Amino acid sequence: MAENIIMPKLGMAMVEGTVIAWKKREGEAVKKGEGIVDISSEKIEMEVEAAADGVLLKIEVPAGGVVPYGTVLGVIGQPGELAATPAVVAEAHAKAESAATLATADGQSAATGTSAGASIAATAVLERPRDGVKISPVARKIAEEAGFDFTTIAGTGPQGRITKEDVERAIKAAQETAAPPTAAQAAPVAIAVETSERAADRAAESQPERIPVAGMRKVIAERMYQSLQQSAQLTITMQADITELLQLKEKLSPEIESRYQLKPSVTDWIARAVVLALAKHKQMNSALLDDRIELYDDIHLGVAVALDKGLVVPVVRHAGKMTLVELSRQLKSVSARAKQNQLAPEEMKGSTFTITNLGSYGVDTFTPVLNPPETGILGIGAAKDTPVFVGDELQRRSLLPLSLTFDHRVLDGAPAAAFLATVRSYLEAPHSLLI
Amino acid sequence: MYDIAIIGGGPAGYVAAITAARSGKQVVLIEKKELGGTCLNEGCMPTKALLECADTYQHVLHAERFGIEKAADHVQVNWAKINAYKQSIVQKLTGGVHYLMKRNQVQVIRGSAAFENERALLVETANGTSKIEAEKFIVTTGAEPIALPFAPFDGEWIMHSSHFLSLETPPPVLVIVGGGVIGCEFASVYSRLGSQVVIAEMAEQLLPGEDPDIAAFLERSLKQQGVQIHLSSSVEALDRTTRTARIRTPEGTAEIKADAVLVAIGRKPRLDGLLLERAGVKATARGIEVNEQMQTSQPHIFAAGDACGGIQLAHVAFHEGEVAARNACGEEAMLNLRAVPRCIYTSPEVASVGLTERQAREKYAGLLVGEFPFSANGKAMILQETAGKVKVLVEPTYHEIVGITLVGARATELIGQAALMMHAEMTADAMENFIAPHPTLSEILTEAVRGALGHAIHG
Repeated sequence: MAENIIMPKLGMAMVEGTVIAWKKREGEAVKKGEGIVDISSEKIEMEVEAAADGVLLKIEVPAGGVVPYGTVLGVIGQPGELAATPAVVAEAHAKAESAATLATADGQSAATGTSAGASIAATAVLERPRDGVKISPVARKIAEEAGFDFTTIAGTGPQGRITKEDVERAIKAAQETAAPPTAAQAAPVAIAVETSERAADRAAESQPERIPVAGMRKVIAERMYQSLQQSAQLTITMQADITELLQLKEKLSPEIESRYQLKPSVTDWIARAVVLALAKHKQMNSALLDDRIELYDDIHLGVAVALDKGLVVPVVRHAGKMTLVELSRQLKSVSARAKQNQLAPEEMKGSTFTITNLGSYGVDTFTPVLNPPETGILGIGAAKDTPVFVGDELQRRSLLPLSLTFDHRVLDGAPAAAFLATVRSYLEAPHSLLI
Repeated sequence: MYDIAIIGGGPAGYVAAITAARSGKQVVLIEKKELGGTCLNEGCMPTKALLECADTYQHVLHAERFGIEKAADHVQVNWAKINAYKQSIVQKLTGGVHYLMKRNQVQVIRGSAAFENERALLVETANGTSKIEAEKFIVTTGAEPIALPFAPFDGEWIMHSSHFLSLETPPPVLVIVGGGVIGCEFASVYSRLGSQVVIAEMAEQLLPGEDPDIAAFLERSLKQQGVQIHLSSSVEALDRTTRTARIRTPEGTAEIKADAVLVAIGRKPRLDGLLLERAGVKATARGIEVNEQMQTSQPHIFAAGDACGGIQLAHVAFHEGEVAARNACGEEAMLNLRAVPRCIYTSPEVASVGLTERQAREKYAGLLVGEFPFSANGKAMILQETAGKVKVLVEPTYHEIVGITLVGARATELIGQAALMMHAEMTADAMENFIAPHPTLSEILTEAVRGALGHAIHG
């Protein structure tokens, strides 16, 4: 969101101020807290600091300009963001004006004080209109992130303090009233084409359940949207014949179970194949960060686990150094703990490649969304018994659909396909997974 | 005819009485035993006095650690003097409550009350039975210890905490049934004053309800003090004639000869004899049913404190008593239990406020946890109390501080700051520029809050 730089009021007597010099040019990056423009009143000079990180989008008042306090001097925002409209400018002006009467103490300290004192005063002027409201820190944050004007909320805390609960309730109420066609709005249209009875039915039906996007859902929503927005992802699919793998798994299961008290699942075998393929194709075990591609030697395998509340991706670190049995044990451990909500935050970050399995839901192929900033994610579908020509003979084979999404910014179709083919060749020569 | 009649003069009752009297009401308070209730007479205060004795004894015993040498290597515990000191504290405090009653013109009647109907009480005193009528009532009768089903209290070998506090000398061998707050506190005090203590707890950890890492910490410390701890264990039989406790542990059955058995398996609301049904007040085994205004099923009758179950802590009773009285006086007040500190006076102390880590992980995915050890704090080194840690739980979206647990020296004092953060709904980033006094233990708390966001300085 664009942030206006405003001529502060320095002291009670100040009516207007002068822009002495801009320290940044339009288009230049600025950091929060960095001085960007020197201004002066009749008595003192001070530096106005940037209130946010971003780019100086526009200078409204060039050096030498004399303007009343509250005037927008310039705008900070993200590149491409529109500059403030006149309405915003007017509003900011009005806010600063309403604050003027409150500024006595700060004004005096600014008039006599150092430039540090003055810059504090300037900030205080900008925030003053909201300062009179009693609100808890977390309530303020929730309101601000939702873009909700908390000055309108009646607080229920001690001495009318606005609590977290108050804000949550107010935001929910606002969402409900602002929601599309309410019964009253929908009714006139409905009556024109339907009987009033049916219109009433429709009105009654048109109250969807509204769930605020918060907590885990919010994190997932942001990350997935960011993933699709900020990478060039596409999906290729391939089928692997896992008939032999299933036979081998069947054969080894009792032995592995008696030796390790463990039953590796098909996913565990596939994970092992993926890890081996990643070791061969480092380009896939990578991330594009800012202006560079990082290739990783260590393979930290993310595995998507569905919980009631949403999806989490716990990470098995150094999966490349594990045998099938070790990998299986780790995968089982993280997914079991994910389901009991017992994962430490560190166990959910740092993956270099992710696998996701929708096979148990009967899905064949799909387009997994990259887990940023990773380059690849492999979707596992449901294996199906299919008649396949082996030479001239039709045989019953189990075919496993694999869906690989990769970031085309990092690598092209051919190397991605080569990676997927390597995964397939490991799956089709399952003994190799045991070494 | 009074405006308000209050039954029970413990923390909930006397606070309710003062609150109502200050609003100009005519208040009568009926107390069966002593003003101050369990807290002042048989609970918080006398046990903390004993604890201070245990601490002082340990300090003197180990004074060499600070370079203080004793001429003769003979330090002894004088139980008569300890009891006198403890009693003097109790007397001062109950005397204070008496004074407050007098100053606020609350009439105190010593006797036991029962409802005659929803508008009147029958009060049995030393001078006979009298009838008391009032506009509004507040029931604050507190709670009492629960006995083992197969072994009723005899006050001589099988005891509850109140019996125990009137002992003239401590038992050489003590079996404590229940490793909750009360059991752990008594174990900590008596083991440090020379008793050999055995705890039997049914759950897998001490302090069920608190986080396992914290409980494990306390378990280690108690064991170092010589306490034997049997978890996942239950007492099968208590044989009075042979003075033997039979405890079933995961390893088998243990028979322990004990000089006393302290049963600390919980407390239940004290409602017998009140005849609540005559007043039409609904109650269950868990206590009197109340709404958030502490109002019972009879709109003009309120209840507060342990009598209505819930959290059995004196400071909750204070708050509930005040809420009940303000509503009874026609104001509007709501219960607010957002930040109730929980203090456990063991050695080291345990204190917590808000959610435990277990609860917080259920509620928030990606919970941020900031921990800081006492061993990295200068003041803790000076005190030679480096065992312990603080754990701060921060939810990931707005960075609200949702729970803090401390285990270590002075934890019960430090938790006051933590409770303030929770009460004010602070966010961890709002604490970033906080200046903690140096050198103090409270720096640990600040470091852990910053650590939750990855910004600890000394961590």
